[in-house]
Amino acid sequence: MAISIDVNGKALEVDADPATPLLWVLRDHLGMTGTKFGCGIAQCGACTVHVDGHPMRSCQYPLSAAAGHKITTIEGLSADSSHPLQQLWIEMNVPQCGYCQAGMLMAAAALLKQIPKPTDEDIDQYVSNICRCGTYPKVRAAIHKAAEGNTSRSTT
Amino acid sequence: MSADTSLDRRQFVCSTLAAGGALVIGFGDRPALGAEAQTIIWDKPNPTGAIEFTPWISIAPDDTVVVRVTAPDIGQGTLTQAAAFVMEELGTSWDKIRPEYGSTNRDYKEGKVYSTVGGGQSYFSGRSTGPDRMKTYMQVAASARERLKAAAAEHWGVKVADVEAQDSKLTHKPTGRSLRFGEVVARASKVKLETEPTPKDRSQWTFLGKKNPGKVQIPDIVNGSLVYGIDVRQPNMVYAALRQSPVQGGKLVSYDADAVKHMPGVLAVIAIKPNENKPSDLKPPIPLGVNTAQHAVAVIAEHYWQARTALDALPVQWDDGPGARWKTTEQMNDAVLQAVDKPGEKIEKSVGDIDTGFKAAQKIIEATYHTPFCEQAPLEPLNGTALVTKDRVDVWHPTQHTLLAFYTAADQTGIAPENVYIHQTYVGGRFGRGVFCDDVRMVVAVAQQFPGRPVHTIWSREESTRQGRYRSMLAGKFKIGLGADGMPTTLLARESGGPGFSVSGLVDTAFPQVIPNVHIESQVVPFHILTGPYRGPGYNSNAFMIESLIDECALATGIDPMDYRLKLYGKWGDPGWVKCLKEVREKSGWGQPLPKGQGRGVAIANWAMRGNANAGTTVATVAKVEVSEDGKLKILQVDIAFDTGRIFNAEAVTVELQGGTLFGLNMSMNEGLHIKDGQVVEGNFDTYPMLRMANAPRVINVHFGGLSDFPRYVEIGEPPAGTIGPAVANAIFQASGKRLRSTPFRLHDLSWA
Repeated sequence: MAISIDVNGKALEVDADPATPLLWVLRDHLGMTGTKFGCGIAQCGACTVHVDGHPMRSCQYPLSAAAGHKITTIEGLSADSSHPLQQLWIEMNVPQCGYCQAGMLMAAAALLKQIPKPTDEDIDQYVSNICRCGTYPKVRAAIHKAAEGNTSRSTT
Repeated sequence: MSADTSLDRRQFVCSTLAAGGALVIGFGDRPALGAEAQTIIWDKPNPTGAIEFTPWISIAPDDTVVVRVTAPDIGQGTLTQAAAFVMEELGTSWDKIRPEYGSTNRDYKEGKVYSTVGGGQSYFSGRSTGPDRMKTYMQVAASARERLKAAAAEHWGVKVADVEAQDSKLTHKPTGRSLRFGEVVARASKVKLETEPTPKDRSQWTFLGKKNPGKVQIPDIVNGSLVYGIDVRQPNMVYAALRQSPVQGGKLVSYDADAVKHMPGVLAVIAIKPNENKPSDLKPPIPLGVNTAQHAVAVIAEHYWQARTALDALPVQWDDGPGARWKTTEQMNDAVLQAVDKPGEKIEKSVGDIDTGFKAAQKIIEATYHTPFCEQAPLEPLNGTALVTKDRVDVWHPTQHTLLAFYTAADQTGIAPENVYIHQTYVGGRFGRGVFCDDVRMVVAVAQQFPGRPVHTIWSREESTRQGRYRSMLAGKFKIGLGADGMPTTLLARESGGPGFSVSGLVDTAFPQVIPNVHIESQVVPFHILTGPYRGPGYNSNAFMIESLIDECALATGIDPMDYRLKLYGKWGDPGWVKCLKEVREKSGWGQPLPKGQGRGVAIANWAMRGNANAGTTVATVAKVEVSEDGKLKILQVDIAFDTGRIFNAEAVTVELQGGTLFGLNMSMNEGLHIKDGQVVEGNFDTYPMLRMANAPRVINVHFGGLSDFPRYVEIGEPPAGTIGPAVANAIFQASGKRLRSTPFRLHDLSWA
């Protein structure tokens, strides 16, 4: 039985068991692989998407729950990588292996929407994603810089 | 320099090969993609009409420079560094360079065109900046540049000395005329140089060490388009969920496929049996015994979640085998601790006379240390995709050792290596987990039983964690004799661990080289738990033990731990050690008073010096910590000085040092696997915790004043993982008076009053 969901502003039909986690619907049924599988138990945050603008760990969010809500994935954070965080991630060389970074970006984007000028404590609380490579100092610095509204690109 | 356009291409290849760099210039019709790499990084067939001359560089008519890279980029930037070497010599603009992986299949068929440089390590993710790779890239780039210049000179009928190559353009300086690289590449491919150019001296570099380019694939990371192993999608692909014997080395007794065959999407239920690693003509870079298959079952379905759901419902019976006799972690701890109470079977090092040394000693320090099994826990769970047909196998894989993956796939299928194709994908971390290629073997073994369709096998996080190739448990018992000046004169060390444990970082570090009387023994305990590389094998445990012990020696003699190390390592023939200590002493505020409950600790170590001075990377770390009265630990500040000789990219080095520090901090504070009835207990991040933003140190300062400028550029990822643990442990002692002789620290009561 097909279920209709709204992903990045598009209405899409999915023929999958309603209990299927949204993560696997996105990756495997819809071919949107930017949202990553890391743990499957909502611990690591690699699968973070936005549901009606709020961060959600999609590995524990069934397809049945997603119907009727606006889902945004990393592919829809901006059409052309123009989101200030994406620009700063490039400018400041934030990712190492990069695997956790889609989730990291989605968590950070949701934080900035909620709290435009977050403190270190806000960041600690809202961005609880796991990065095994150790990009935390860069992620923190980039979020603060985005909050300053400073997205000017360096020349080197 | 003269140009001769009469040579055909074959002669051209021969002439350049003979010149010490395997130069081949090629060209094709691919569009330029700008500064970024590409979302799909694996080797691809040449486009229609392309002519290729060299394995390492091709230049297209649109000026795109494809640089072939062999070492997988696992986040450390091998692609970017290879591009940077070419950038320095070629005269291209940065945004025209596009890295791509060099094919192992081609390497096999064409007389090791890639693995001649670096041998068995050529397709290994470590050591991306080794001198052999640097020389190769810079030579082929310089040679290509001179041919382009010669072709332009010929086109204009001018002297080649008047032609300059810059920003992908060739300019005739007296007249200002210019041509793009792409406009002369066809002519350039026929140029024969009388002598190959010598790459620039370091003093002439304008890019290496000057510009610090970010990793070329980052633009494709931030929009989610980069293709990791788990993102591979092939036409007609099916998915598999895998379960291996819960006790490593156990056997599959039976399973009831009928119980799940009716479930949605299920296509097959299969069993995997260990291969026997039959003798063959294959010459893998690491013996294939390291990746013998485990007994396993897998469910293959149209979609992953269907496969996973059916696997969870599949009744399976296992024979746990001999591993089940290890009932508890304590039993295993006791086994290694008892082993170090007795002389070890293997003598690792013996110099001087320890009996005489201990008799003459003014003071004796004795201590026993222990570190547990640890899992690399890369964030991308193990996975891979394979398509096996009668006479060909294709594998799309996030491996850390592409060449071992190649031989593993050939060995597993029995298909001739000529018909084995490994398509290296981007890699979501690995930290050693992807070196032995047991994951490659499993992926191929599953696909072998579902021939004709690509099978994408994904380990659950729990399966990834419980079926590891772990850092071994390790116990060390130490007796140190101190002389009248408080410095060590005598060392007796006994270490014990499971099969595959390593005394690296004990035997081959500076410490036993500056002590006159040393005796080191080791003993293997026959655990069934499989082991493998983990960000500095042996080193990361031994750095904790040695550098904690040195603090114990310093404190026993009343000497400041920093001064003690300066004196001790001042005897070592590598001045970088003292330079790093002095740098971090100054920059960390060492010696400045701290409030009660706070402390500073220092540690210094080197990976992978292998007993040699002016080798490997030395890292000195100072940690400032706070321990609350009820025992809560907070890392307030970390300062790092390092000596890797020289560096190419300060930005890349900084993030590796920070990342390695956080990895080592997690290892020391949080990590330790438990065993129950032979099985690994922890399965996911709820029980195998990771540092997050909230509990990682906010300040990790990387200082560059420790660099010795000795002519070497060596690995930077592993070294910091060794020093942060002992630096924190030594700081905890200063703050709380508690000496930690085992990891993880979170299991210790740090309360004080």
